[in-house]
Amino acid sequence: MHRLALLVVAAASVALVGTPALAHFDAAARYTHKACPASAGNRIDPINVVFTTWGTWRRAESQVEAHAGWTAVSGSAQHFVDHGGCAQMHTQRASGQGSRFHARLRGQHADPTLGWTATAVAHHEDLVLFPVPCGHAVDANGPSGSGFDQARDELERRFTSAGHVSSRVWWGNTQSFKQCDGDYAASDGWTVFIQLHQAGDS
Amino acid sequence: MLLALALALVGSVSAGGERSSAVSQSFPLYNAGEHVDGFPLAAVLRREDTANYVSFIYGDCVAEDDAGCAPPVEIQVWLSCHRNLGLYGGGAVAGAPLEQIVARGVPALIFDGGTRLELETGRATVVVFAGTRARLIRIVAALRALDGTVLPEHPLAQPARGRERGAMNC
Repeated sequence: MHRLALLVVAAASVALVGTPALAHFDAAARYTHKACPASAGNRIDPINVVFTTWGTWRRAESQVEAHAGWTAVSGSAQHFVDHGGCAQMHTQRASGQGSRFHARLRGQHADPTLGWTATAVAHHEDLVLFPVPCGHAVDANGPSGSGFDQARDELERRFTSAGHVSSRVWWGNTQSFKQCDGDYAASDGWTVFIQLHQAGDS
Repeated sequence: MLLALALALVGSVSAGGERSSAVSQSFPLYNAGEHVDGFPLAAVLRREDTANYVSFIYGDCVAEDDAGCAPPVEIQVWLSCHRNLGLYGGGAVAGAPLEQIVARGVPALIFDGGTRLELETGRATVVVFAGTRARLIRIVAALRALDGTVLPEHPLAQPARGRERGAMNC
């Protein structure tokens, strides 16, 4: 039932983009990239969170800080693709400096139904110091999902606990990514859409 | 050696577990052999958590601090009751146009600018990731069943999932 509802959301999104001349949310690019131009070879992370309904990147950033408590700003840059254009992320927030949750965000096209949108790649990563110090590595697939799934679920939990509405859409972006510790991590293919505007907002 | 280990470990994958029905059913595995398109089989992953599939990774890449990397080729095999072409609503997914083709005699969809293909055969959905469309097509041609029932470039078994009935039970 839950997934059926999500597919309806997906179908609604599809319906939005029937007229290419209109601005719309572009879900065609489902990964971030190390640099521009974007290619399949320089993919880094799967997009797994979309902020909608006044989901400007500034507002998303602020609410990630407020609801999740992720206020650290360290981390390398990644690049997002929107309507074929490649550009650097707008911001990032993390839950600390060592092993932590971490999300990178970029504002995207506004959409007639979804409103202002921002996409994000969220993950939980370990600071790997042994046996070979390599730095931050996304958690490998495990009982709670990969580090990508864990962070997506954490954001969804935090936002819905604060009253925001969320839903999930199947994106199928399950490609595996090797990490600096030699492990592999992949999204389970579900992207969560979180509405930033709440009924009580003015 | 790695392939032999993979066969020993996951030659017939059980679909049992908390998210599956009480009836445990196996599904055949497909990969592209020990090498494909110049890349050796580098890893075999069994995922059974929020997703349930077997992955064959070919070739290597250099990951850095805070930045993973995409291996050149990956073949994932899912049970089609968990992942199938029906998830894409018959033509598009969340704004991305899909390309519907027939590959090795079975229905398939191409995504992500020609870098991902999904096809259904028997009780499995095979998902191929590759850097280019040309490589993607070569890998699909090289797919074979690990149990020896399907050889490279031969027709694949038709999907077991009834299109009219939607997803089958796992």
